[in-house]
Amino acid sequence: MNFTLLDGSIVGAYLLVTMIAGVMVRKYVGKVEDFLVAGREMDVYLGIASLAATEFGIVTCMYTAQNGFTKGFAGAIPGVLTFLAMFLVGYTGFCVKPLRDSGVMTIPELFEKKYGPRVRWASGVVIVLGGLLNMGVFLRTGGEFLVNVSGMNPNYLELMMTALLVGVAVYTILGGMLSVLVTDFLQFIVMSAGLIVVTFLILDKVGLNTLVNTVQTNYGEGGFNPLKNASMGWSYVIFNALLNTAAVLTWQTQIARVLAAKDTATGRKVYTGTSFFFVARFLIPGIWGIAALAVMGWVPLQVLTDAENAQLSPVVREKIASSHAPSALTIAPTEEAYAKLPNDKQKYTLTPTEADAIPPKIREKLDKVSLNAMPLFLSTFVPIGLMGLLIAAMLAADMSTDSSYMLTWGSVIYNDIMAPFRKGKWSEKKGLFWNRTIIAIIGVFLLIYGLWYKLEGDLWTYLGITGSIYLSSMSILLIACCYWQRANSWGAAAAIFFGALVPALTLILQKVGPYTEWFKTNDTVCGVATYVIVALAMVVGSLLKPQTKA
Amino acid sequence: MIDGIINMLQNHWFWGFLTIACLAWYSTITIYVSIKGAGDIRDMLRRLARSKRIQS
Repeated sequence: MNFTLLDGSIVGAYLLVTMIAGVMVRKYVGKVEDFLVAGREMDVYLGIASLAATEFGIVTCMYTAQNGFTKGFAGAIPGVLTFLAMFLVGYTGFCVKPLRDSGVMTIPELFEKKYGPRVRWASGVVIVLGGLLNMGVFLRTGGEFLVNVSGMNPNYLELMMTALLVGVAVYTILGGMLSVLVTDFLQFIVMSAGLIVVTFLILDKVGLNTLVNTVQTNYGEGGFNPLKNASMGWSYVIFNALLNTAAVLTWQTQIARVLAAKDTATGRKVYTGTSFFFVARFLIPGIWGIAALAVMGWVPLQVLTDAENAQLSPVVREKIASSHAPSALTIAPTEEAYAKLPNDKQKYTLTPTEADAIPPKIREKLDKVSLNAMPLFLSTFVPIGLMGLLIAAMLAADMSTDSSYMLTWGSVIYNDIMAPFRKGKWSEKKGLFWNRTIIAIIGVFLLIYGLWYKLEGDLWTYLGITGSIYLSSMSILLIACCYWQRANSWGAAAAIFFGALVPALTLILQKVGPYTEWFKTNDTVCGVATYVIVALAMVVGSLLKPQTKA
Repeated sequence: MIDGIINMLQNHWFWGFLTIACLAWYSTITIYVSIKGAGDIRDMLRRLARSKRIQS
């Protein structure tokens, strides 16, 4: 491990400067509007820096690197799709123009004008539930990255992430969106410096030829073409196109920049200006993931300690050692199915009995080989001095994401979920107090849920499914709200219901029932089905409601 | 590194082009955004201070 006192000093200096800057701008907060949307004074370049910093956290880096490790260059395709979606939305003003022109602070506030107060409230609940469930994985995944890279004792993971979250919460609670924007800006600079330096180091030491050959050897043409990749295909591409377009239109942290912009044109420019960053967001960590595979190779047993290795039987060890990237554990559904496998497949396939004999902690580690490969690689690859910059960059990425997520989801709780309880006009002081309290409560929730939730399977797909809980319904509601005159509260209610039901059902059926394997392997088909069902629900629901004569 | 980029452009032009574009984006646009963004912060805080003075 290359983390030394010099690296610690770089990280400490970065944290100190960020905290001071974040706390100092609190004096400019006088109203709720200042707190939630920075008084709508944000200009283009600050918006680009803030949006880019917010949308790149440690968790982003981990799952995009995992995509590179398990899918090669083709794993960066969601970034290309997001770029196209964001550029087109910014260029045409699709949905974001009427949204910003309306002068609302949140999307549900716009919905009230079209669908009524009940839909506004329900939308707020769906947005907050979907968003916080999604954000729940951030802390633990970020902590695992820092532990792996720095070589820190894993027992300190909870303590370290708690301290980080408290620090972020302090400046977010005090300065709201103003602190978020200013600290995001600093974090954008540190994060970009770390990303570009480490990437050039990889390209210089490992070489692009080696990366390309590694992808070709492990994944063949599927490592470059998502349609020829066994784990991707059309359903993966279509699902990600829908998911990322919906995120560009309604993901609270992204749309908050449009709403905080000083005018509609500025908001659109922020989108077009930031759009290409989303390619880099996937491709650069993806290159890190491919480099991990190229340098370390596929040696899943390396993630286990000697003591853990000793707990495995020689047969199981041999099979795991013979496995191929990206899966260390290939398990036959039954003993009979195993017996029918050809000899070459039996060499790396475990029988259910063999799989059950693996201790849960070891199994969890083996399931996460692809997720933790990149940080393990960087821990020995990045030299002293640069390691400090890398960790500062990743902390910057994580802090900017956490602060923005806490603020923007807090804004929906205050503005929309609490709307029915705010009888009469609240004073600015009372409004600010409640906004700050909500952020503190979100922080506590994240500590409990975020540090204790055990993630299984592919991280990006998990984020996609939980995000779909609201992205599907909110995007359909927004499009219909802006462009379909016949859309009404019945259609909106039906869309919200099915938008929550289908992803939740998918998650449940992946855990229980006779078709768990099918739902696990076809999660992107379920994701596409969610968007189709929600759109149909909006249309059918709206048409069923009797029209009132004007 | 240059050899690797040329090879990639020849064999996998799509990803080769995107890799170069990402490196260029981070090496140039980031610096430009950082400089202009600092100006945006200064102007934003100035406007907010002014509006706060007017309110009080």
